[in-house]
Amino acid sequence: MFGKTRNFSIEAVWPIVISGGLLVLWEAAVRGLHIRSIILPPPSEIFLTMIERRDLLLTHLWPSLYLTVLGFWLSVVGGIAVAILVTYSTIMRKGFYPIIIVSQVIPKISIAPLFIVWFGTGTVSELLLAFLITFFPMTINSALGFQSIDEDIGLMARTFMGSDWQIFWKIRMPNALPYIFGGMKISITLAIIGVIVSEFVASQEGIGYLIKLAGGLLDTPLMMAAITVLSISGLALYGLIAYAERRAVYWQASSDISSSAGG
Amino acid sequence: MSTLPESKEKTHAEPSSPALRIKNVRKFYDDLEVIKNVSLDIAQNEFVSVLGPSGCGKSTLLMLITGLVNCSDGEISIMGEPVRGPRPEIGMVFQQPVLLPWRTVLDNVLFPIELLRLSRAKYVERAMELLAMAKIDDFAHHLPRQLSGGMRQRASICRALVHNPRVLLMDEPFSALDALTRDEMGVELLRIWQVNRKTVIFVTHSIREAAFLSDRVVVMGRRPATIIEEMTIDLPRPRQIGLTEDERFNQYVRGLRKAIEASHVR
Repeated sequence: MFGKTRNFSIEAVWPIVISGGLLVLWEAAVRGLHIRSIILPPPSEIFLTMIERRDLLLTHLWPSLYLTVLGFWLSVVGGIAVAILVTYSTIMRKGFYPIIIVSQVIPKISIAPLFIVWFGTGTVSELLLAFLITFFPMTINSALGFQSIDEDIGLMARTFMGSDWQIFWKIRMPNALPYIFGGMKISITLAIIGVIVSEFVASQEGIGYLIKLAGGLLDTPLMMAAITVLSISGLALYGLIAYAERRAVYWQASSDISSSAGG
Repeated sequence: MSTLPESKEKTHAEPSSPALRIKNVRKFYDDLEVIKNVSLDIAQNEFVSVLGPSGCGKSTLLMLITGLVNCSDGEISIMGEPVRGPRPEIGMVFQQPVLLPWRTVLDNVLFPIELLRLSRAKYVERAMELLAMAKIDDFAHHLPRQLSGGMRQRASICRALVHNPRVLLMDEPFSALDALTRDEMGVELLRIWQVNRKTVIFVTHSIREAAFLSDRVVVMGRRPATIIEEMTIDLPRPRQIGLTEDERFNQYVRGLRKAIEASHVR
């Protein structure tokens, strides 16, 4: 356990050193070349803006986060449900699943204006886009997880008189967990994109709206502060899922060879 | 060590009747005849190996005995009762250990107990005794990935025995192991079997393995599979690895090889 933590911190040093170096370079370049902050504000100014205008940023961050998380959960629940249907129903698997996969080629973002026509500007449109954009990776990953059961494991369970119900809960579900978490990690970043794009086109609040507003006012420091806040939030959400994954999928825990037995 | 609870004898058949009776069994997959008229009686607690080339239908025969696949013709009965589907009297060991990676070794061994909806608490002790007999009780609370291939297969043998089945089916259980581990596992299996007497049907394509383990070896020919030779291995038990040096053992091996070669010529 300690060994892993130490390795992790050593691994983390390099990206931190390099990004720190880039920030210093950025700061020096902006000051040295007298670049106007409307074109490119230095990191220090972005940081100051984040502190000075934290109330404004937070006011717009919450609705975005709220919709991101809600849309994400809808797609997790919906994606897993559809994946189970696809696993057990031949009609779903042979009829609908190909349609689901083919419809993936539609750039979901392009549907955003259509949603505004149908549902107006605001929460519903944003939620739907976040859901739509995340639903496919969730469904496809989960379906793969439920279906990629080792043939011998299924045979073993049947030999010991396992019922379909038992096989689902005791084999398919745990087998699907790593795949489901894989889908969740893709989906959470996509959900943010969905919400932000909706806010660009159809909202009076949210970080996406704030970014667009600041852009219109040529308030580049505020814009970049908003982008930074958004990135940090995205990173935090992703980290939360990665943490939950490590706890839930304990049997795949890294290259923990130290406690394994030889012979 | 030898205090494992034996299953309560509530047999409907007379004691002399075979534990397993395979009678005129045939199996077709579509038009392909896989098994052609196989009949075989196996006595209670007898260790029988089914020996034959790969793809000859040995595994299909096991599938028929589990009841997961139906015979096209003929009948299989266990303790006088015809097999119509999976039955709790059967334990099975596969070519691969097929342990569930998210369960500890102990929980893997108790998996059939859960599937059969038996009380876990009542079988934990038995599971631990089996693991001790297989010399992997120290790893009861480890995950399968922390075990070597041989240890995993031992765990899967414990799993097959945990619900105290009458019949133990083994489908080339040691073929995925290296040669040294394989010999060792054979000795271990006999030691466990000596304490947990079961009717064993052991499918293998290793002549020496079949001769070493069995009371009787049944040789199957190429597809469609029929029994082309039966040989009783009259060697004393308990058997140790030194037996493979014995001239009588090697006579059996030669005899079995001849039978297999004869089937190739035909």
